[in-house]
Amino acid sequence: MKNTLLTAIAILISGYLCSLGLPWWGITPVAVLIGWFFAANGLKSFFGGFLGGFLLWYSTAWFADDANAGMLSTKVGQLFMGLNGQQLMLVTGVLGGMLAAFAALTGKMAKDMLIKPNTGRKRNYLQERRR
Amino acid sequence: MRTIKFILTFSITSLLLWQLTHPIHLGDKTIPPPGNFLNPFSGFWANAEPSKGFKEKDMDLPGLKGKVEVVYDDLLVPHIFAENMEDAARVQGFVTAQHRLWQMDITSRKASGRLSEVLGERTLRLDRLARRKGMVLAAENDLIGWNKSPETVVLLHAYTEGVNAWIEQLSPADWPLEFKLLNYKPESWTPLKVALVSEAMAETLCSWEDDLESTNTLAQLGPESFHYLFPEWNPKQQPIIPDTGQWKDLHPLVPPPFLTEPAPSLGFLEPEKNEERYLNDGPIVGSNNWALSGSKTKSGKPILCNDPHLNLTLPSIWFQVQIHTPDANTYGVSLPGVPGVIIGFNEDIAWGVTNVSQDVSDWYKIHWANADRSKYTIDGEQKSVRFRYEEIGVKDKPTFLDTVRYTVFGPVSFDFEPENPLRDFALRWIAHDVPLQSTFDVFLGLNRGKNYEAYKNALPGFDSPAQNFIFASRTGDIAIQPQGKFPIRGQQQGRFLQEGDTWANAWHRYIPSDQIPSMKNPSRGFVFSANQNTTPPSYPYYYLGNFDDWRSRRIYNRLEAMTGATVDSMKSMQLDNFSQRTADALPTMLRLLDRSQLDDAGKQMAVDLSNWDFRYESNLLAPTLFESWFDSCYTATWDEITALEKGGKSALRTDDLAASKNQKIELLYPDAWRFIDLMQTDSASIFFDHPATSFRETANDIVLESFKLMEAYFNQHPENRVSLGESKGFALKHLGQIDAFSRLDLKMGGHRTAPNAISKSNGPSWRMIVELGDEVHALGVYPGGQSGNPGSRFYDNMVDTWASGNYYDLLFLKSANSDSGRILGKQVFNPK
Repeated sequence: MKNTLLTAIAILISGYLCSLGLPWWGITPVAVLIGWFFAANGLKSFFGGFLGGFLLWYSTAWFADDANAGMLSTKVGQLFMGLNGQQLMLVTGVLGGMLAAFAALTGKMAKDMLIKPNTGRKRNYLQERRR
Repeated sequence: MRTIKFILTFSITSLLLWQLTHPIHLGDKTIPPPGNFLNPFSGFWANAEPSKGFKEKDMDLPGLKGKVEVVYDDLLVPHIFAENMEDAARVQGFVTAQHRLWQMDITSRKASGRLSEVLGERTLRLDRLARRKGMVLAAENDLIGWNKSPETVVLLHAYTEGVNAWIEQLSPADWPLEFKLLNYKPESWTPLKVALVSEAMAETLCSWEDDLESTNTLAQLGPESFHYLFPEWNPKQQPIIPDTGQWKDLHPLVPPPFLTEPAPSLGFLEPEKNEERYLNDGPIVGSNNWALSGSKTKSGKPILCNDPHLNLTLPSIWFQVQIHTPDANTYGVSLPGVPGVIIGFNEDIAWGVTNVSQDVSDWYKIHWANADRSKYTIDGEQKSVRFRYEEIGVKDKPTFLDTVRYTVFGPVSFDFEPENPLRDFALRWIAHDVPLQSTFDVFLGLNRGKNYEAYKNALPGFDSPAQNFIFASRTGDIAIQPQGKFPIRGQQQGRFLQEGDTWANAWHRYIPSDQIPSMKNPSRGFVFSANQNTTPPSYPYYYLGNFDDWRSRRIYNRLEAMTGATVDSMKSMQLDNFSQRTADALPTMLRLLDRSQLDDAGKQMAVDLSNWDFRYESNLLAPTLFESWFDSCYTATWDEITALEKGGKSALRTDDLAASKNQKIELLYPDAWRFIDLMQTDSASIFFDHPATSFRETANDIVLESFKLMEAYFNQHPENRVSLGESKGFALKHLGQIDAFSRLDLKMGGHRTAPNAISKSNGPSWRMIVELGDEVHALGVYPGGQSGNPGSRFYDNMVDTWASGNYYDLLFLKSANSDSGRILGKQVFNPK
């Protein structure tokens, strides 16, 4: 859980910083790196990535929508099968989440492929749990 | 295993990223790249402007000579305070682009036939039409004319550079929403695009013609019936310039003899599908303006009013602006993409325009001299056509190449189907001509004009689209002048397709500016126009056009009777829903109607209609009933024309070529005024007879028959038996036809034959009332908002005010530091 949150927070912060200078998809290579350096395993990289990406995209959209009093999202929602503003924000968040999730997973998988994972620690951890 | 896992996740991520950055095609719909569009940093969310406060930032602008301050009021109207006109034009370009960039782009694309570059094959037909009618040539020629004025050149370039300064500092996140939605980039503004936007207006206003329909109709009906049904002068008309004996000493230039018979070997013309129309004959556009002298007003100072009726869109066709320089302080509406103020006022004068509506586009039949149509015969000699090759970019498709042939008359617009010899016509259109002077000098002259002399001196430079320029000054003068470049025509010349085998048929000379009619300070105390005839037939020059028969009479009657006029009485005139046409038609139709033939419900309907005061108010049922009755009455009367169109047999002519060819031809239908006139004066006319029946019908029979049809229709369709507002289906559409960005919820009164000429999608695009005096008191409103961004609170904030018949006080500032309590914020521009 801790590791998932750590991954998510790292993606949220670095993704936000990226958005100040890089194109919107700049979060992808960043999430790859975070997946490599932070995530303990594939599942955690994926969920951590999703959570970070989702929170970043959803909250940015939320702030924009809130300041705009929902004027634009109501109109644009009509173009997307009549979604309302809330649903449009969710769609936005899920897109950001999916992108960061798969990117972080890719980073983790790349690390697993290129560097032998430290299986020992995992075994110790399991033994500790058993005790 | 690990390698496979990596490859798998890497592929999924790449695929996802690829999909998010590429458009999705679903049937005929295209969804913009979802990631580009939905991401919250640079996607559409970035266009969600804060619903409070002010967001424009100060700028260093290259090319500025001094500091420029732009004060925005609570309607987001920029008030530009500059030290010189060049700086003002530069900043006008910048702030206009800041709010209306996509509108500017799409308008210039439409005019230049470049829509397909960004919208794909579906607009190719429109693009070809724009090219083939010579829109780009017209714009290029505008520039040649404008470049004759050094001041215009400076302002044109300053404005263009101002627009581009805005575009250059945009990041993709800042692009207007429609660019993101349609997935293309903003591109630089150019002087040519300024001309294209002007020509788009010319196309709307002065490309009307029905030469081909008239030619067909004359051939079908024969001259006697034709001239009986289509008289050129409506005796009830109130022309713009009445005959006060001023033409007694006018020595008109004589037109050279031309071939008066329309192209005799014509045969019948192919039908034109609506989308293939080269020239505008769509919904009638019209406008009202009037000016009252102090003798008619309560304040003793002149009042000037103008409401140009155009196709109503979001963003609005107009952008309000105030331009203050040491020379002038001007307020009014501008066209996004064009420098200056088109309709407005300054501290000393006010001016406005309506369309002159004279016919300034003619068709000529070309006689080809060879099979590949590179040469044609004129006056017995062969001449080579000039080819203009049009390359039309089409998104996701190869470039489309089109060849347009130019003759001495103009482009041969109709050759989609080279095998059809009846389409080889050349278009002579005034908008193609190189302007004699710079159009901008005209508006500049008005923008900083101080009196009648300035107005009078400014006008002669204005060629096209011809406008009725109305004027009022603080010192008490009022005036009107229909200004434009008008060909000197022989009788009926230009009414029909003309033979292109002789230069004699061309336009040779134009009415000299001192012989163009005008009126200053008439004793009646007012001047006005509403697209009606310029003059009565006693004016020595022949002209023709598409003139309005109704609004002018109503406006004349009200102005004539008016005393002690105030701003409020002006409002009530602009909002007047009284239809003169209905006031003429309904009592006549009720008189002809034999009510004893009606059932009880029908009798009640007739009573309801007879109690109606001819006002097209939104909440009334009577307009819905009457429109239906009038339409079916009209249709039933002109059934012989419909039969001819379809190629059926007719009592009028036996040698029905169209029938043998089994094709539909386009014909003219009589004007409503003539139709009503016939009901009033010749109810036994042969035209009321149905050729298909053995009985000889009169107007009484037609009126009864159509009343019963109307009643039956509403019995069958009770859901359509609703008030005018409900039935009209008024739509204020987004320029890109995106419903979500349109206003489709408005229930409007008004009628195109009433001063408040609101039809389904046309109407008053700007209502302005200016009361001159020591302090100018001006009101205005348009159906839209200053911002073109659907995510801005200023996108449609004036729509409801407009729809409910209310106005805004226009904030006319004296200095950038005036404290009016209506200031939103200030944007300062410094030289870089």
